[in-house]
Amino acid sequence: MTGGAHAEGNFADFGVDTVSFAGPLPGKLAAARAAGFTQAMLSARELVDHAQGQEAALQAVRASGLRVTGLQVLRDFEGLSGPRHAYKVDVAQAMLELCARAGAKLLLVCSTTSPEADTGIETMARDLRKLAMLAVPLGVKVAYEGLSWGRAINEFPQAWDVVVEADMPNLGIALDSFHALAAHTPIDDLDLLDPDKVFLVQLADFMGEARSGEERLAAGCHFRVFPGEGMHGDALAEWVKRLRAIGYRGDWSLEVFNDDYRQMPVTLVAERARRSAVWLGETVLQRAVPLPHAMRRRP
Amino acid sequence: MTDIGDRESLGELPDPLGLAGIEFVEYATARPQALGRLLEALGFVAVARHRSREVTLYRQGPMNVVVNAHGRAPAGSPEEAHDAPVIAAFALRVRDAAAAYQRALDRGAWAVPVQVQPMELHIPAIHGVASSRIYFVDRWQEFSIYDVDFVPVPGAPRHPESPAGLRWFGLVQYIGNDRTPDWTDFYEELLGFRALPDGQRFGILPKGRVLQSPCGTFYLQLIEPEPGILEVDDRESLARVAFGAPDVLKAVDLLRARGVEFFEAEKLHSDVQGALTKPALHGVTFELVRVPR
Repeated sequence: MTGGAHAEGNFADFGVDTVSFAGPLPGKLAAARAAGFTQAMLSARELVDHAQGQEAALQAVRASGLRVTGLQVLRDFEGLSGPRHAYKVDVAQAMLELCARAGAKLLLVCSTTSPEADTGIETMARDLRKLAMLAVPLGVKVAYEGLSWGRAINEFPQAWDVVVEADMPNLGIALDSFHALAAHTPIDDLDLLDPDKVFLVQLADFMGEARSGEERLAAGCHFRVFPGEGMHGDALAEWVKRLRAIGYRGDWSLEVFNDDYRQMPVTLVAERARRSAVWLGETVLQRAVPLPHAMRRRP
Repeated sequence: MTDIGDRESLGELPDPLGLAGIEFVEYATARPQALGRLLEALGFVAVARHRSREVTLYRQGPMNVVVNAHGRAPAGSPEEAHDAPVIAAFALRVRDAAAAYQRALDRGAWAVPVQVQPMELHIPAIHGVASSRIYFVDRWQEFSIYDVDFVPVPGAPRHPESPAGLRWFGLVQYIGNDRTPDWTDFYEELLGFRALPDGQRFGILPKGRVLQSPCGTFYLQLIEPEPGILEVDDRESLARVAFGAPDVLKAVDLLRARGVEFFEAEKLHSDVQGALTKPALHGVTFELVRVPR
């Protein structure tokens, strides 16, 4: 279990995304662990960017004792053809191999922003199905996320339609509260989803409004804050509760791209992440007892 | 003449690869002689050796087994720790190997680099479960792929009969928790297999899901870990091969006389439907399944 002074927090299914923290990977992992987190979402760039190389990064991940929530992020994959498609398949294969090496059972894929992409739903679904097929032998699930600045897929109901069209068991959807809140996607649309096909939920709040795609891109990449710190806390809490109500029981990952946090000591930011997770677990979801599925036993 | 497909949508043929059974199964082992003795007890005969590498071709009836002393079990696996043999590959007979290979790649298969293959003759292969490979072979009717890479063992028959009338029945694949749908789609989409209804089972180990080859001549059985186990071994592998036998109990008697040991416990024992050999060489088992001649 988590150990230390923070062991009382009831948020084992909440993890933190390492992109939320500044500095080298081992420091991020140590801060997450010290703040009481038991899992972390990793970024492929951080693994290969490690000063002592990728092997040292993977060793740091194993030594941290953190469970790997997943690996991000494959971009602009779907809808390409010819050499562009072949190139992206190569990139995808490299990321899937990195998943396997890092112990990541999930690869996050973002909806395309490429002007070259054919955004017909059948084409995109075919490509995502192929990506998921590539992931089968490695035991990796593929989670498709609609970026709110995506070219054709920019809200989760559209991403869901593509996933349904692709119809592959290890292909599901990733939700991000930032995109849903920024794009004002109706909360009732969550009821459309099959909770077993929601493979990951990422959580972040932000300040102000982000009306256009450009504003969303700016806010989403620089000015996110942890849930409970922003201006949409009530809406975010309702959103989380609704996901719980439709039966979502997977991982929640705090993914906060914030320029201020990237120049603050990592332990301070990790403490903010912890406060956010406690708020979500205890105030929003009103947990008091250990999670019933904390001991994982097959039915 | 106008092609019918130009005018009317017929959909894809149910057997897109023109599959015609298993050409060979390949074991990788650091102890090829020990595995060879086990295969000989089962009725296989060493018929040819590789020209340049420590690879031996065993055969009985319609079955070819390649024993590759260069391959190894996946790093970190129990098989590696014990030098245990593993099923490293199976080869499928197809109508057009290059087309089958390209079709699989187009749909999300991984290409296997040529240099890791034991055959010098180019045989296209895709990645299967764990570190195993799936080969596509199309030159199995007019001449033998083994003629290129292998030299006959002096004095050995080229086509030894199977003493117990065995033929390929299929392969058993162990898979991780909740992975049945993933692997079902993998074999359906890439190779044209189809899942049998849950009630349709063969042999004495009727667990998991059975997939039938489009040619109808062999089966893949997918088996997840037992439910209710806390510390689940989630590793995936090709666990064993299964032989079809016209008369299982007769085959068991015959093979037992040749030194093969079978499971004979209250819960699991040889019967007319099937039989299972005791694990040898740290985990190698073979299954017999009744099939009408």
